[in-house]
Amino acid sequence: MIEVRNVVKTYDSVRAVDKLSFAAKPGEIFGLIGPNGAGKSTTIRMIMNIIAPDSGQVLLDGRPLCEADKNRIGYLPEERGLYKKMKVGDLLTFLAEVKGGDRQASAQRIDRWLERFDIADWKERKVDELSKGMAQKVQFIGTVAHDPDVLLFDEPFSGLDPMSQDMLLEAFLELKRAGKTILFSTHIMDHAEKICERILIINKSREVLSGSLAEVKQRYGSPTVRIEFDGDAAFVSGLPFVKACRQFPRALEVELADYEDTDKLYCALAGRVKVRRFEQLEPSLHSIFIRLVGAAQEDLNA
Amino acid sequence: MRKLLAIVKREFRAATGNKTFVIMTILGPFLILAITILPGLISSDPAMMTSGKPLALVVSNPLVEAALQQSFSQQGMTLASLSDEAVGKDGVVAGDYAGLLVVPPTWPEQGASYYSSSGTEVVIFGSAEAVLSAIATRQRIGQAGIPADQIERLLAAPGFQVIQLGANLSEEEKGDDDFMGLMFTSLGFVMLIYMTVLLYGQMIGRSVVLEKTVKTVEIMLSSVSAKQLMLGKIIGLGLASLLQYSVWMGMAGLAIRLLGPALGIALPAAVSMVNMGWLVLFFILAFFLYSAGYAALGAAAEDEQHLGQLAWPLLIFLMIPMVMISAIVMNPNSPVAVGLSFFPMTSPIVMLVRLLVSEPAWWEIGLCLGLLVLAIYGLSIAAAKIFRTGILMSGKRHSFREILRWVRLH
Repeated sequence: MIEVRNVVKTYDSVRAVDKLSFAAKPGEIFGLIGPNGAGKSTTIRMIMNIIAPDSGQVLLDGRPLCEADKNRIGYLPEERGLYKKMKVGDLLTFLAEVKGGDRQASAQRIDRWLERFDIADWKERKVDELSKGMAQKVQFIGTVAHDPDVLLFDEPFSGLDPMSQDMLLEAFLELKRAGKTILFSTHIMDHAEKICERILIINKSREVLSGSLAEVKQRYGSPTVRIEFDGDAAFVSGLPFVKACRQFPRALEVELADYEDTDKLYCALAGRVKVRRFEQLEPSLHSIFIRLVGAAQEDLNA
Repeated sequence: MRKLLAIVKREFRAATGNKTFVIMTILGPFLILAITILPGLISSDPAMMTSGKPLALVVSNPLVEAALQQSFSQQGMTLASLSDEAVGKDGVVAGDYAGLLVVPPTWPEQGASYYSSSGTEVVIFGSAEAVLSAIATRQRIGQAGIPADQIERLLAAPGFQVIQLGANLSEEEKGDDDFMGLMFTSLGFVMLIYMTVLLYGQMIGRSVVLEKTVKTVEIMLSSVSAKQLMLGKIIGLGLASLLQYSVWMGMAGLAIRLLGPALGIALPAAVSMVNMGWLVLFFILAFFLYSAGYAALGAAAEDEQHLGQLAWPLLIFLMIPMVMISAIVMNPNSPVAVGLSFFPMTSPIVMLVRLLVSEPAWWEIGLCLGLLVLAIYGLSIAAAKIFRTGILMSGKRHSFREILRWVRLH
């Protein structure tokens, strides 16, 4: 488990990270979400001890991180870089070696991942011949080749085409199933929504909200149900627990006062119209993010 | 340790696995030879200086002309006898003649003149002057009524020997050739150290800057410590340079063994096993000293250009012994030479030269080595601090004052 406690980092006069605390557990994908410049990369660099925090602690399994722990962590920095003149295979072997990975096991893992990302043919080619997307895949393999327990990815999806993004999402889920602790930062809500158990939204160096994705959605979403039906449903808008109602050609989106009212609505519909589809709509993380971060921005502007 | 080894291996392969390294390794000895020997050849060989053009002579006295002919043809130059001074001057201006020597009929009462487009060919007009003054001296002594056989005896130079006195009173006669041998060996050794230290120092500086510009530094620092990364680079490139050294020495040895007897070239006496040992020792020390310096500057620099700007203090320290080498060879125990052989930034080169040409006391060698090792240690620590602080900073150029602040930090 990786735990961040009250870390603070100030550059000159700018506070980059202000009293941030969170924990990512094994077998869990934790998303650090925020707009550009919020302090995500600084936080991840402090976990990696590339930058020392001014105050606060970073703990791995309950004790402060030491030099030897670097071997247990895989890190994909936001600033991607690979030694351009090296062959892909040699580079990956080297990256696993400086992380103290077992040579043979690393070699097997490297081959497996290259295969999986469809770049096995490039193993003997030089890095500077790779396309940007391929280089990013190679960088990902370099991060996992030594089989670390903890994985930190800083904006792992940026610069990838949709197909490669899906490949990476799959890979994340596989690593999670293998019991790895995964922490990644992104400003693309869609990715966080797809794979994260828990999230922390950070804006202007401070935590805006954190918790499990389900909790967050419940806390910040309003209960909305989408109904597709045959018949006349005009009566719905008159029901006492319905706050608002939006009519679409063949569907109805009903905003309720409370989550508890979902059942009441279903009962009210039963027998009066033929329900083909009854779906509890969740607010997207995107909309929550825009609401919270946007509001904060307006507060500042006001 | 395994991590350090992996970095050493990678840096070694990165340094040696490219065409530049192969070309430098093969061409290096020729380059050093060219730099050390060619200027000497050009300035001392009149035939090379005049690039084969004849020297014009306007001389009426046949005795003088014959003496000049003999002297210059020995030096491999051709002469063209003219009767008209004006024709000779036109020829010089047109570039047909390397120069024009005019010895008037009234000579030696009236002096001779030498005309050329540059007026700096001291070897040519120097030897003309020597020939002329020898003839004039003989003529004047003869005119004083002294018989010809006595003139030679009067003018014969007395013997003069230069003897190097060893610590155990051993005597060794030194000739001009010995001096030249020492001079060229010193120059060769110094060039070797200077070039390799400069080359590899810059390579280390660049390699550190490159970590920043190609952005591999974060991955590296998430895997190893800054100290391991820096040490790995220095050792890796150091091994590459030692490989280059051994190839060069092997080539030189082979060339002298195979071609030496045929061409009548022997190694100068100064190139002994002991001196080679000193060379390698001082090279390694100089290498580590300057590598630490360049690594620190590389970490502080924003890009390669900026590195070049920051590197000037190191370059100046490297240049000092180069500029002073002939003074040091001629006066190896002067206070300046002794002082420079203790000051760590210059001592590897200066002490090596002193060891070649004289016999510094053991305490001097010990002090030099001790200070050098201390300096390497101190500079490495400073470098590691600058490295740790500077390696992640980018997008901003730092002044020396700021960099020194990093050293005091922590």
